[in-house]
Amino acid sequence: MTIHPVESAADVITRDTTWTETPMPTAEPDALEKVMTADGKIYVVVAVLLIVWIGIMVYLYRTDQKIDRLERRVDDSISEDR
Amino acid sequence: MAASPPPVLGRPRLYRVIQGAVFVTMSVVIVLGFLREIPQLAIIEESARSLYFHVPMWFTLMGATLVSAYHSAQYLRTGNIVRDIRAREAARLAIAFGILGLITGMVWARFTWYEGTGKWWNWDPKQSMALVLMLIYGAYFALRSSVESDAMRGRIAAVYNLFAFVTMPFLLYILPNQMASLHPGADGSPALSQSDLAPSMRWIFYPSVLAFFGLFWMMYTQRVRLAVVEWRERASALLTPSR
Repeated sequence: MTIHPVESAADVITRDTTWTETPMPTAEPDALEKVMTADGKIYVVVAVLLIVWIGIMVYLYRTDQKIDRLERRVDDSISEDR
Repeated sequence: MAASPPPVLGRPRLYRVIQGAVFVTMSVVIVLGFLREIPQLAIIEESARSLYFHVPMWFTLMGATLVSAYHSAQYLRTGNIVRDIRAREAARLAIAFGILGLITGMVWARFTWYEGTGKWWNWDPKQSMALVLMLIYGAYFALRSSVESDAMRGRIAAVYNLFAFVTMPFLLYILPNQMASLHPGADGSPALSQSDLAPSMRWIFYPSVLAFFGLFWMMYTQRVRLAVVEWRERASALLTPSR
């Protein structure tokens, strides 16, 4: 961990080595990687947007479940009162 | 315990206005986000457009935790059960948006910085600490479900929630930005500051953040309304002597 209020030469070296030590692409791209990096990697954006959309849908579905539970409870009390 | 049940919230005009605004803004953001020209950079290329959908997740999480902490503080002050419900639902959405932020970040990094390495998760400080924050907020719900009495649960959860909120800026900004990280913004690498983000992207990015704030508010309000009705129903069932 580098805490640097004033950037010293040592910090610059740390940062530079961090970047140069970053593993360079070596592995053979698998099928998924070939698809996702095609056409300027636009499919990454599609995937990201899709994930957000799925997340929202899951949330809506769970809201529905809560409404169901509440409806069942309300309905039970009505039938018991009768 | 409150003497009278909390009033139902209904669907005020402001809510409907925001609903419409979210729909319009989000539609425009999605279309322009995909179609508008952006500066071409190596490694990230067109995937830079993920900025419009990944970064607002974290902004929304921060907004949600702020809302949650505010209502927890108000709960401690007033003891109003609706404050506790609001704090809980905002925290729930904070986790939801945080998980979306983590997953979208994983996918984005996998095909840019980790391209050719096959790595989905690299224990980068930024992602590890975001995960820790998720666990801290997850513990808020574990804590809630471990206390039986409403009033006691509200107080304990509110105090814990204030603690959780204080850790948020440290885990998302202060600590990871001091460490060596591949995530933009860390250790002097470009991110959102004045000179980093191209002006043409700014005009899609900011509306996107606002649209997700609005979306959060809609989802949050729906759950709060539902929880208030649920609470009233439970209270009235307890008060009815015939049952």
